[in-house]
Amino acid sequence: MDSAKHYADVPTPAPGAAWTALNGRQRVDQVKNKLEASPTQFLSQIEVVTAKADGQVIVRMKQSLPASQRGPFLLDLEDYLREIDQALVVWLEPLGDKNSLRNLRGIEVKA
Amino acid sequence: MTSTAVQTREGALILDSHKLSWHYDRVAAWEAGERIAPVSVDMSLTRACSAMCSFCYAMMQESQARSSIKESHALNLLDDFAEMGIRSVSLVSDGESTISKAYVPFIQHAAKLGINIGNATNAWEWEPEKIEAVLPHITWLRFTVAAGRPESYAKIMYKGPEHTQVFDRAMSHIRYAVELKRKKNLGVTLGIQMVLMPDLKDEILPFAKLGLDLGVDYAVIKHCSDDEQGTLGIDYSQYEALHPLLEQAESMSNEQTKVIVKWSKIKEGDKPTYQRFYGPQFLLQISGSGLVAPSGMFFNARYSKLHIGNFTEERMKDIWKSDRYWRVMNYLASPHFNAQTMMGTLPIQHYVSVALDNHLKGIQRIQPGTGEKPLHVNFL
Repeated sequence: MDSAKHYADVPTPAPGAAWTALNGRQRVDQVKNKLEASPTQFLSQIEVVTAKADGQVIVRMKQSLPASQRGPFLLDLEDYLREIDQALVVWLEPLGDKNSLRNLRGIEVKA
Repeated sequence: MTSTAVQTREGALILDSHKLSWHYDRVAAWEAGERIAPVSVDMSLTRACSAMCSFCYAMMQESQARSSIKESHALNLLDDFAEMGIRSVSLVSDGESTISKAYVPFIQHAAKLGINIGNATNAWEWEPEKIEAVLPHITWLRFTVAAGRPESYAKIMYKGPEHTQVFDRAMSHIRYAVELKRKKNLGVTLGIQMVLMPDLKDEILPFAKLGLDLGVDYAVIKHCSDDEQGTLGIDYSQYEALHPLLEQAESMSNEQTKVIVKWSKIKEGDKPTYQRFYGPQFLLQISGSGLVAPSGMFFNARYSKLHIGNFTEERMKDIWKSDRYWRVMNYLASPHFNAQTMMGTLPIQHYVSVALDNHLKGIQRIQPGTGEKPLHVNFL
């Protein structure tokens, strides 16, 4: 566990000035341009929804993948986007509860 | 964090800390860089539930797809757990396992394999026949009791205060279990749990009184978790004003029933001390959708990059051995993940994660357990 010991105190990277200086539209374009240049063809599987100044990149999957595939796919995507900035993290849009009874509470999962 | 225990008639009960000292073999193996099996798994046999609790974290745990967990899946899962070296399973997670057809066979099969079982339930569908079939095989049973008064209970857990039949039904089943335990001298620990939202302060004392009236072994009051977006709107700063009432509730403990407050979680607030999330390697969570993800905090589709597999589609032992399992666990231990900003508050792995983080930082090293083992030692 040498590596974990090393990381326990290590701060999570924050986005650099080049990323934070962009506006929302420019950040999304930068992500899209990067993905278009990828040999992995990420864009055949996902759409970029937003790219926030704090480094969060929110994507939408065009079709559902099994759990065994979507995790590795999205971690590969995140690794690739870190070539733009080390602080970028990929999330999907959240899903609301499908339980009809619990839904009567009217809770909406925040994005 | 120390391993504080509450002394009960049956032994030392640890609800507000962890038991890693008693699994020091796994801690040492983990520290040496080995790929360890979890000590414990928290899971559900379904995502469904007949209640609609206002505090329910399951509302924020919808993954991309649900699979139906059949009895064969559930029993294969237990066989894999035994092969992997998993020592306990708690049926809590994101659904009401008692309504699954696999519920009784699952518990009975676990007992045959020597895997300890714990279970949290609202007890609504937990009729005497089911109770008799499972109670002798269960280490602990914790009933979700949102409030001590029928109308409040029905308002928080169901459609409104007029639906007190759900309270009556639950109490009838809990009393049946308390009596069965006494009659058969069973080793199971029976408790009730209130999830305290700050606006429920008037329910604290009636809840403690109900615990005493039922004659359960404990009545525990815990914080309410929220996601990092604040979906449930919990204001953690409001808990401090409740401390006097909580202390008063604790003072109501008697010889049979201990009223316990999870102080460390209530005082922790919404930001943990740790950035890396080591706990899931020791205490893994599985959704009632079959999804294997490190923690219930990551069941929602939002966290799909941390989804590892689904045990209804492939064997659990193969998921555990896969590179993708360890890729996700290592991700959570890397600087790319920050528990303070990237997940909800106070996960089930909270105590374990604090202890492991303190261990690695040299703040407080975990020591091997000595002396008499606490109750439920295989549940971290």
